[in-house]
Amino acid sequence: MSKYFSNIFEAVSTLLTGMGITWRHMMNIRKDNVTLQYPEERWPRPERDIGFDIDDYNVIRSRLQVDIDDCIGCMKCERACPVQCIKIVTTKSGAKGEDLPDINHTGVTSNGTKKALIVSRYDIDMTECCYCNLCTYPCPEECIYMTGGPNSHKHPIDYEFSQYDRNDLIYKFAKDVDEEKLSKYFPRKEETKA
Amino acid sequence: MGVVHGDLMTLNIGPQHPSTHGVLRLKVKTDGEIISEVEPIIGYLHRCFEKHCENVSYEQVIPYTDRCDYIAAMNNNFGYAVTVEELMEIKVPERVEYIRVIVAELNRIASHLLALGAYGLDVGAFTPFLYMFRDRERILDLFETLCGARLLYNYIWVGGVSHDLPPGFIDAVYSFLDYFEPKIEEYNELLTYNKIFIERTGDVGVMPPEVAVSYGVTGPNLRGSGVKWDIRKNEPYSIYDKFDFDIPVGAGKMGTVGDCWDRYYVRMVEMKESVKITRQALKGIPTGDVHQALPKKIRPPQGSIYKRTESPRGDLAYYIVSDGSPIPYRLKMRSPAFTALSVLGEISQGWMMSDVLVILGSLDIVLGEIDR
Repeated sequence: MSKYFSNIFEAVSTLLTGMGITWRHMMNIRKDNVTLQYPEERWPRPERDIGFDIDDYNVIRSRLQVDIDDCIGCMKCERACPVQCIKIVTTKSGAKGEDLPDINHTGVTSNGTKKALIVSRYDIDMTECCYCNLCTYPCPEECIYMTGGPNSHKHPIDYEFSQYDRNDLIYKFAKDVDEEKLSKYFPRKEETKA
Repeated sequence: MGVVHGDLMTLNIGPQHPSTHGVLRLKVKTDGEIISEVEPIIGYLHRCFEKHCENVSYEQVIPYTDRCDYIAAMNNNFGYAVTVEELMEIKVPERVEYIRVIVAELNRIASHLLALGAYGLDVGAFTPFLYMFRDRERILDLFETLCGARLLYNYIWVGGVSHDLPPGFIDAVYSFLDYFEPKIEEYNELLTYNKIFIERTGDVGVMPPEVAVSYGVTGPNLRGSGVKWDIRKNEPYSIYDKFDFDIPVGAGKMGTVGDCWDRYYVRMVEMKESVKITRQALKGIPTGDVHQALPKKIRPPQGSIYKRTESPRGDLAYYIVSDGSPIPYRLKMRSPAFTALSVLGEISQGWMMSDVLVILGSLDIVLGEIDR
């Protein structure tokens, strides 16, 4: 019988202890509030003004962005991607380092590298991307990066890029290159053979 | 005289069920309300991890290891990196070892917070869940400043880590630990010593040490049964032999040794131990270059290796066979949650229907790691 009442007493007292803790939290609700009203307010993204060379440290995981004018078509990012979400097609430019205005091709990157290839297709399927950031490290021209953070000066942060159609999430970075105009610089040898 | 059985009823719990912690189906045969057989059916989250690893290079495996145990991705990275480093005989700088220990222990705390909070939710306590998630969020924020990602980090690389600690990180971790340590007492008052919680979990789902060992159960589940076994102490990897910490074991404080409450409480005490390790690591962290030992090309010599590490769920091991090419010839992952789930059928026999989910929750399984 005494066991029965001691059980009840224990249950009530431990419950009251728990209630006391929640009560204390409720009293501090203004101070300890951790909820954010999401679309109106947002958590600040870590800016990570970190002091080392920004180019070496790409510390943000958001949408991938490519500055296609700087891309030399080395395909290092395509090989680094573990899920093969980057698709690149290049054709050999006859004139290394020369601007080709009729297909919007710039010959020299902002780092001063002369481009030997024309990137005719550069697609990133962001539905497949696993945000591992592995593609951004090998890029010799720093032209593929995740938006925002240390790259804010190149592209503002973009981590809310939902779409109504899956196909809209395939980002096509290459400039529209007309096949006919391209063949002027690159005669299709394989086709003529066949 | 045989025991009289009524008709057995087969019940399916899951695959979509809030208490199965993922996509797991439990085929339960019940006699009235008494469980006579539980058969876990897995494979709903199978992603061909091992086969996939045979087709990608060594550094590309790391994002996949993240996705196995997505609650404690740092520990998975850690285990994989340690394994490949031993195969390639890379000596990583001291600073990298310390950073790895700090992030692994922080992630252990985060993982246990989720396990305990979700366990409270399983038995009907909603408040501890919210409090624990609030504190877990602070750890995730720390990781976000560290490597940009909140859950799937790809942070620990073979031969180093992807980024050095940002300035102010050590102070931020210190302030988090100072904030967090008293919170453990609060959780204890709120949930651990609650009479209703004890009635639900104490003496329920007892896993005797022999059963635990024979099923190969590791980690907090094994220690809950009173077996003092922790890879960090028994087979120290990285620099865990430098730190002073205890291995909490279940003592049957609220019932029998190896009951659900013991498994729960071991995790609670383990968080304190993790705080202890993290403090020691923060104190001793040397300076240095974290990228110094990164190999230009990861191309291990021919051979194989089996290396175990202690993830929050137990003995996480990788078996790698290398044929000298930049792609693993075979990669096997020994998942602790898989063995923990296998014991469910044994220990839940004879308990009530409502106890099955309590027992399952106390095992702290992650389906991403079981199915891989």
